[in-house]
Amino acid sequence: MFKLNLKIAFRNLLKNRGYAVVNVLGLVFGLTSFLLLLMYINHEQDYDRWDSGLSNVYQVRERHDFFSPDGKQHWQYGIDSKIAGLLKKSIPQFRQVTKVSVLWRNGTAIKIGQSEPILMNDLLEVDSLFFKVFPYKFLKGVQKTAVSEPNTMVLKESAAKKLFGTLDVLGKHVKVLRWSSDEGKTYQVKGLIADPSTPESLSFGAVLHSGEREKDPEGPGSTNYCQVYALAGDQIDTTAVAKAVQKTYIDYKKSTFAALKTSYDDYYKGEMFPGLKVVPLQQVHADPPLSKSWLEKVKPIIGLTVFLLLVSVINFVNLATVQSVQRAKEVGVKKVLGAYKRSLLMQFLLEAAILSSVALVISIALTELLLPVFGRHFEIEMTFWNNSRLWSLMIQLGAVFVVVTLLSGFYPALVLSNCNPVDVLKGTYERGLKGVALRNGLLVLQFVIAVTFIIGIGVMFLQSSYVAHKNPGFEPDRLINIKTSYQEDLAEKIRRVPGVKYVATTTQVMGNVFNVPREITYKSKDYKLNTVTVTMDALQALGTQLVVGRLFSRAYAQDTLNAVVLNEAAAKLLGGHMLGQQYVLKDEGEKHTFQVVGIIKDYHNEGFDKEILPTIYKASSRGGTSSTNNLLIRFENENYQQTISLIEAEWKKKYPDYPMVYTAAESAFQDALKADRRFIEMVTVFSFISVALSLLGLFALAAFVSKRRTKEIAIRKILGASDLQIIRMLNRSFLILVLFANVISWPIAYVLTNKWLSGFAYRIDMPVFPFILATLLSLTVALLTVSLQAKKAAVSDPVNALKYE
Amino acid sequence: MIELKNIEKYYANKGVKSYILRHVSTSIKQGEFVSIMGPSGAGKSTLLNILGMLEEPTYGAYEFMGEDVVSLNERKRIELYRNHIGFVFQAYHLIDEMTVAENIEAPLLYKKVSSAERKSRVADVLDRFNMVAKKDLFPNQLSGGQQQLVGIARALVAQPSIILADEPTGNLQSPQALQIMELFKKLNEEENITIIQVTHSEVNAAYGSRILHLLDGVIKEDLSLQQVI
Repeated sequence: MFKLNLKIAFRNLLKNRGYAVVNVLGLVFGLTSFLLLLMYINHEQDYDRWDSGLSNVYQVRERHDFFSPDGKQHWQYGIDSKIAGLLKKSIPQFRQVTKVSVLWRNGTAIKIGQSEPILMNDLLEVDSLFFKVFPYKFLKGVQKTAVSEPNTMVLKESAAKKLFGTLDVLGKHVKVLRWSSDEGKTYQVKGLIADPSTPESLSFGAVLHSGEREKDPEGPGSTNYCQVYALAGDQIDTTAVAKAVQKTYIDYKKSTFAALKTSYDDYYKGEMFPGLKVVPLQQVHADPPLSKSWLEKVKPIIGLTVFLLLVSVINFVNLATVQSVQRAKEVGVKKVLGAYKRSLLMQFLLEAAILSSVALVISIALTELLLPVFGRHFEIEMTFWNNSRLWSLMIQLGAVFVVVTLLSGFYPALVLSNCNPVDVLKGTYERGLKGVALRNGLLVLQFVIAVTFIIGIGVMFLQSSYVAHKNPGFEPDRLINIKTSYQEDLAEKIRRVPGVKYVATTTQVMGNVFNVPREITYKSKDYKLNTVTVTMDALQALGTQLVVGRLFSRAYAQDTLNAVVLNEAAAKLLGGHMLGQQYVLKDEGEKHTFQVVGIIKDYHNEGFDKEILPTIYKASSRGGTSSTNNLLIRFENENYQQTISLIEAEWKKKYPDYPMVYTAAESAFQDALKADRRFIEMVTVFSFISVALSLLGLFALAAFVSKRRTKEIAIRKILGASDLQIIRMLNRSFLILVLFANVISWPIAYVLTNKWLSGFAYRIDMPVFPFILATLLSLTVALLTVSLQAKKAAVSDPVNALKYE
Repeated sequence: MIELKNIEKYYANKGVKSYILRHVSTSIKQGEFVSIMGPSGAGKSTLLNILGMLEEPTYGAYEFMGEDVVSLNERKRIELYRNHIGFVFQAYHLIDEMTVAENIEAPLLYKKVSSAERKSRVADVLDRFNMVAKKDLFPNQLSGGQQQLVGIARALVAQPSIILADEPTGNLQSPQALQIMELFKKLNEEENITIIQVTHSEVNAAYGSRILHLLDGVIKEDLSLQQVI
């Protein structure tokens, strides 16, 4: 029986090759995007799963406003290093607590012997307890003692290969320079560990142990920030631990405030409150501080993918029910031969299963093919067959297969197996009349999705072209940023290189923003403003636009003391007309007075989704931090490659052991737009597929209707209707459906695009054009698609249709 | 084997009942060869459909082999199809995607006959109908007469006690029609299979043993051919 059904299924598929291909193709689109998403989600959920012991590791987070992007308190994982010792002492559940700091992400130079220095940006500085908390597998060396001595390091296999080209690294010495002017320190390799099988939230190529992390800064006022991880025993009571952690922290803060003779209650008021918590390491990736989690980021994509799969399944259902007319006779006959309804249902489900399994196989192949592209898009590495969780992926695929088969096969199977044999055998089977409402409904749904997509692309396209053409407020071309701290002697040498116009530094430039909130008093009112420290010609180097007053200049002696430049946002916040005004800044008890000498236009130093902060620019080191890693160089003309090599020569003279790394401001600017651009590309692809699928569905439905109405068309023709009149008649009902779908999608698209737009601090007003365009476009393509089918029906010979069956 | 008592079938349309069948009562015994005749619209096919349990009468009692089958549940009805009733249609209604052999085998599959026995029975029937050479052809590769032979072979293979045929020769030319009728007569006489056919043709009806004349839903005449002769 099964064999025969299988045979019939294949014969049917062969007979209706066109439908089968369209059906499978539709599913392939939907499934492939779903598979990619599934793999991405799997990949993201795989973080920190490489050892079962990691379920007992916790990341410690503290609420504070240091380093925070908006100057407000946030949960952060860069925390007061003293907390590590505190937790070890007062929370008995924590067996080991380790302190880790991520070394300057700009790069640490590693020099092996006399070879060229290699820049690594994934180094950690750890205390001696690191490997007690993180159970890395040691290929060489001893886990217990690897980092117990100062100036030791442990390499990951991949890093060892990159640095040494061999795994035989134990006992070797390397010179490590943490920044360009660092004189360097020699470390001995004491261990080699295996690369873990899953991605890590705390990823690194090598860990260094200088010994500095062993001790905390002395005195209650001084803090050093680092990350703290704790290893707990099995099965801790998390609520009790959380309470104990918070209590310990409050006691610690109170004693610190008491020692500093400041008021605890004055500090923690309003939005400020003390907080310390532990987060299981395995949740860290899903719940990052200060930024959206990956799940939050891919949510719209999950929505899109599910919609796409839905559209392709709807397509399948529509096409399958269209075919059911042909199959009705088979069902009728089988019923009078003694087939149970159930066995017929199974037969049609089997056919759906064949199609969806073919689609699945093609999708898997396509996924494998697309993974490299996809991985580049999301900047992750994934493989299908070498996936560490191939089995669980297979099970998920199985589930997807079952769901898709049931969704797409069940309704057509039910319709078919329910048909009344008398009607069929008498030849009066009402050719699927009952399903018309449902099919029309599905078609409308498909078009709602497709039209919403089209409107979506329209709005996104307009917004992105607005952003691309928006004046960023500075001139990103002919500007590079060398990742190093500003050294006057080097700057001076570079200034003398022909072709260089300005050499400067700032704490705020696109791609490397370091916002420091400072409280100022102006007209006896307190304001919190973002403070940026610059050198004399930084604003000129950036190409900012002066609104009123002047920029800093060496001609004015006061500029290094108490002159500031505001941006327009700051001037507005302080009440406008700020030129020449003075404000007061308190710094460790001392009062400094600053005078506003100029106001510049706001310029973008982050993506357009972020509002430009009210900012004070000052050239003085007083009351501001100059901690920066930018060396801005503006060139005279476009062809500056030659000039760069001259600068590099100067660099080599000063820092022979540290390579020069720079980024063009233009590319940093493009990077800031990247995330949105990616999203738009993604939506565009999805839209095209969904529109194509909807048209397929429409095509099939039109074919079906014109077939069902063959007799009617023939009679009308005999009565004298022209071909054109018949095409028009067939078109009418579809155009009404498509128009209806448009009306539904307008508000949906409005809400969705409005939400997307509201994510941009700088955005266009909701445009009308995409809405009109989507409607016109959908009506036109629908008209063309249906006409194609209708024409076939209209020009056919009426005699054939009217012959007695 | 069949008892019909006061069978009525009507459709109510805006309060007006339009009758298809009225007061149809008759009984048909095992081994009879009955032809149902009458003009178009007399209710012949409806009567046959009711006999084949494809339609339910609006009113009346129907006993098939001593069992009341009006409003029989689907499972029981399917059991009757599998074991006792064979259908033959005017338009043959072979399954296009199956070969001749597979079409004939289909009812046996539903009857859950073992594979070996299925093979032998199909081979047997093919042999009897002289269709061995055509067993791997698809229905659309056969002539109308051949298709109807396959249709009858399919009805017979499950060894039914009754064959219901709705104008079995309606689409055929007369030589082929006669061949089919000869076959029916042989089956009726040699294997004692009850045959009920709907036909327009006096010639076809003459092959049977009894004629039911239907007019406007009422049995006008019930002729036994032996009596006539």
